[in-house]
Amino acid sequence: MIDWGWLADHLGAIAYRTGQHVYLTALAVMIGFAISFVLALVAARHRVLYPPISALAGILYTIPSLALFAALISITGFSVVTAVVPLVMYTLVILVRNIVTGLDGASVEVLEAADGMGHTRRQRLWRVELPLAVPLIIAGLRLATVSTIGLVTITGTISDAFGGLGYFILDGYHRGTFLTEMYAGAVPSILLALGADLLFVRAQRRVTPWAQARAFEATS
Amino acid sequence: MPQQVPEQAARRAAIVEYEHVSKSYATTKLGRGAPGAVNDLSLTVPAGKICVLVGPSGCGKTTSLKMVNRLIEPTSGRILIDGADVAGRDATELRREIGYVIQQVGLFPHETIGENVATVPRLLGWPAARRRERAEELLGLVGLDPALYRDRYPAQLSGGERQRVGVARALAADPPLMLMDEPFGAVDPIVRERLQNEFLRLQAELAKTILFVTHDIDEAIKMGDLVAVLQVGGHLEQFAPPAEVLAAPASEFVADFVGADRGLKRLSLTRVAEVALQPVATARVGEPAGEARTRTFADPFPYLLLLDPSDRPIGWVNQRQIPATGTLAASLATPMSPLLDRRTTLKDALSMMLDADVQTGIVVDRAGRLRGVLTVEAIAAALRPGADPAGIAASASGADA
Repeated sequence: MIDWGWLADHLGAIAYRTGQHVYLTALAVMIGFAISFVLALVAARHRVLYPPISALAGILYTIPSLALFAALISITGFSVVTAVVPLVMYTLVILVRNIVTGLDGASVEVLEAADGMGHTRRQRLWRVELPLAVPLIIAGLRLATVSTIGLVTITGTISDAFGGLGYFILDGYHRGTFLTEMYAGAVPSILLALGADLLFVRAQRRVTPWAQARAFEATS
Repeated sequence: MPQQVPEQAARRAAIVEYEHVSKSYATTKLGRGAPGAVNDLSLTVPAGKICVLVGPSGCGKTTSLKMVNRLIEPTSGRILIDGADVAGRDATELRREIGYVIQQVGLFPHETIGENVATVPRLLGWPAARRRERAEELLGLVGLDPALYRDRYPAQLSGGERQRVGVARALAADPPLMLMDEPFGAVDPIVRERLQNEFLRLQAELAKTILFVTHDIDEAIKMGDLVAVLQVGGHLEQFAPPAEVLAAPASEFVADFVGADRGLKRLSLTRVAEVALQPVATARVGEPAGEARTRTFADPFPYLLLLDPSDRPIGWVNQRQIPATGTLAASLATPMSPLLDRRTTLKDALSMMLDADVQTGIVVDRAGRLRGVLTVEAIAAALRPGADPAGIAASASGADA
């Protein structure tokens, strides 16, 4: 059923498409994080702006991806921008909400202690509120990355040039459901998603040892 | 930018003055006397003393405290630290010079205990090595082994340990003034008692000026050199040493607030060392019995206190049972009155005497040597209105020498 010969002939292409998949995902998540971080800081500082920012991100998230790709082609053409802009947009809602919720996570006592000891507003943000938000920020990045890995398979509909592993799935489908090729796209993208998930879980443990402190204590 | 204040140059204790300080909150629905309001508060906390602000909830005690480090700004009036109006200071700079301890401690969960303790030194820009050294010194000071605790996280500590870290953190930059808002309120009574005692011992060495907020009158009496009793609406009802608040409440409110058992509370305020000890006829084991017998009969108290060769009490001998000849044997002594330490409170002393069903307690020093005896009458005398236990002790100081 699986055409091993085809796979052997296309190892280079699979590796190339996997790399492209990772590249598109990383690019979208990084840009999305940069935008979300700024928006979240603004929202945390000026609470009145949070509902509109959150609502806007939510609306962007509801736009169907295929429709958005189609709409963007008329503006940005068949370029990588057309692929990345929607991917970035979909990360915003997850990231903004997680960062803001994370920043809100510092307890009243912790904030009072921070103020009472003489932190400036900025010091309190960078030394207390942001570090305490890290678990939720990483959780947001994890979710955004995994969902972006899924979405990149659809960017193949714009052009063969940006499909990542989705290229094989679409191409295999057009060849009359050539399963071997479809699996060549599906299996690595599933593995990528699982790998990314695992990576973030480990990163979280590494950068926030304090969040594990209680569990750590219980086992030692 | 952060300037370095060498520890040696830091003032050891500050004077805090409230001058007609009021704080009113917008009275939309709550009407007059909104909770937390303060009404024309004037008082002076002398350097190196613990001043406890006590009162029911909503009496403005926490508000009064937070106006000192400007977490709350007064509506009118001034607060002076060593003569300087706090309103004229940069708020963050001011706060770094004032130790701050709150009930829920508010340790930073993401920092180790060592980093938490060094928070203010870090804000002041101390180099890392000096911060670490200071953190270890302070952990030792509050009774936490630095090697064991320095690298742990707050979540790994018990409530009592966290409170200790909170105190260490407030002391980090050696502030001349500490603000403590129910600092021992979140732990069980046994741990609280221990933390209070430890803190008093620490304060005896450090002699900081401390403003201490509590709703618990017993804690106020125990911790305060001075007690400020506040009434809801932020009226200062009485500002006096705890013994005076108990002996002469300034108003009905204060009398109610300190409770019907204020007589007993006064007992817990006074220590054995502060009252006049009675001399008593004594003799050492092995001394001639006849002479001791004569001496005991000459004394109004019909018992002889038998001591061992190092002056440690063995027990009482009824004057009738003292042999006329020979020497005194340890076997003559009957069971003892309770042994009291000079630091025992009168409340505990009385309780021990009641337990042993005797009228007299034997007071010994650290080495167990006799200092004198404490009678129930002496305890009553110390509580008599206008009695100054220290004065009595001074006039009778020859007795226990």
